[in-house]
Amino acid sequence: MLSGLFKRFTTKKNSKDAAKKRLQFSLIYDKLEVNDTTLTDLQQDIVDVISKYFEIDKDSLELKVKRDENVSALVFNTPILHVKRKQV
Amino acid sequence: MEGKIIVVTSGKGGVGKTTATSSIGAALALEGNRVAIVDMDIGLRNLDVVMGLENRIVFNIVDVVQDRCKIEQAAIRDRRIENLFLIPASQSDNKDVLTTAGIERIAKQLRSKFDYIIMDSPAGIERGFENSVVSADEALVICTPDVSAVRDADRVIGLLYARSLSPKLIVNRIEPARVMRGEMLSHEDVLEVLSIDLVGLVPMDEKVLISSNTGTPLVLQTDSKAGAAFRQIARRLNGEADLPIEMPVYKTSMWQKISKTFGLKQ
Repeated sequence: MLSGLFKRFTTKKNSKDAAKKRLQFSLIYDKLEVNDTTLTDLQQDIVDVISKYFEIDKDSLELKVKRDENVSALVFNTPILHVKRKQV
Repeated sequence: MEGKIIVVTSGKGGVGKTTATSSIGAALALEGNRVAIVDMDIGLRNLDVVMGLENRIVFNIVDVVQDRCKIEQAAIRDRRIENLFLIPASQSDNKDVLTTAGIERIAKQLRSKFDYIIMDSPAGIERGFENSVVSADEALVICTPDVSAVRDADRVIGLLYARSLSPKLIVNRIEPARVMRGEMLSHEDVLEVLSIDLVGLVPMDEKVLISSNTGTPLVLQTDSKAGAAFRQIARRLNGEADLPIEMPVYKTSMWQKISKTFGLKQ
């Protein structure tokens, strides 16, 4: 009983709290995972839109989903070759 | 009236899907419904042994879908519970032998012959899962209070929502003593993480293994806590949606009461 009392005073955080935190994090992280087809489709759509205004180098562009503990971002990089003239 | 197809699924294996399916099916039959339990785990069938019907299989679900027999010929009548039937899985076929189109074709017939059709989905989210879900009117997701089961449940819940099904959750194998000690996620924790509706809480119960050992229905054992919980779930599914959900209780000893009073425990 005494050892039980001692243990109760000294126990660190409950392990279930760790479980809950880790779960909440991993579920959010899981949902940010984008599969390859989605990414390819997205890239094609972005290229189509940008091509209306700029001439871009389609061979050297890149699309990435960047993730770290706090922020997630979609990064699209492309060299611009020319600005297209707006058609009247 | 047309019957209702309910799929029981979990993503992760070994969380109690088969026990839940057979118990809820049996309990629905005890409530006076005509119930068919369908084992969708092609190649790894188990409901037959759990229900004690393994030596009475003649035809299976693959035979039904491929038109080799009628539903009535494949449906095995339970030995103890009236109006309870099992349509077993095939043990020898490849797990991808069934298609969603095939299941949709027989779903109509099943609805016309039974009040409830419970589909026991295999673990995983591949073809077997798709087949179990394709014709479902309602979905039950079962998980245990551990990180892997909850994570898989979340994935499955997402897939069900994508098919316009709003699943309800069963938290299985709750050990109240461990929840109190902070060693196990409570059902509140699980619900907060998954944010879906709850349909039942099932405590850890040694009787589950014993009833599967002998192939007797858990819900017929009067002293089984898990059996009682599954009967409650069946009543909620069978029109008594407002039946209060009982929390698994933990008998506190004198010492624990004292330490709680003095704030030594959370």
